[in-house]
Amino acid sequence: MVKITKEIIVNNAQGLHARPAALFVQIASRYNSEVTIQKDNEKVNGKSIMGILTLGVQPGVKVILEIDGEDSDKVIAELEDLLTKDSIE
Amino acid sequence: MKISDFLCTKAVLADLKSTTKDDVIAELVDLLINAGSIEKKRRKDVLEILMAREALGSTAIGQGIAIPHGKYGSMKKLIGCLGISKQGINFDSLDGEPAYIFFLLIAPVDSAGPHLKALARISRLLKDKYIRETLKAAKDDKSILAIVQREDGRLSKL
Repeated sequence: MVKITKEIIVNNAQGLHARPAALFVQIASRYNSEVTIQKDNEKVNGKSIMGILTLGVQPGVKVILEIDGEDSDKVIAELEDLLTKDSIE
Repeated sequence: MKISDFLCTKAVLADLKSTTKDDVIAELVDLLINAGSIEKKRRKDVLEILMAREALGSTAIGQGIAIPHGKYGSMKKLIGCLGISKQGINFDSLDGEPAYIFFLLIAPVDSAGPHLKALARISRLLKDKYIRETLKAAKDDKSILAIVQREDGRLSKL
């Protein structure tokens, strides 16, 4: 697999605050694929905590992940799992 | 949300003295105490909450920035302070770099929305490398505040 684009509704009860943003970046950074996350018309680097925080993603909001690289299938599985879990501290 | 909605203007410091994570968090909390934003008797509780949050994972978000934060029941509204370390402090950042710019936030318990908006605004302000370098080079507290207020105003117009 190479490029994957997927819409995901963020289900974390508190949205993408600092902790889930850090976890997101930790996952994304383990892989070679390029990762971006988009909310509305704003797209940021998925390997930057600051980038993700600028989006201020509230719970229940739709984001679009774009993952480009050899290992994109693994990345999307892990990130989707993270964003749809409702119990990140 | 604007930075001016939560930054305590009397709690801005251009030259943090601390050299460790624990000390700098205490120094930042003391800024808020001295500014009258937190009662002195709350110091121990607030420090415990902030350190417990750090134990979950560092609040250093890369690019030399840390945003230690916590929720505290006695707070009526979100409040923050800002301090700069000239020499940098090891804050267990994901990118392994020291932190120079510290934005500390203390929020009421049920304030996920405002907290998220404050984080977004701080990130928007500090994602600009020029702003980060200007803050690090600022010579006194007044200059720091002036830079933040100017950029906060500019972001509001975008």
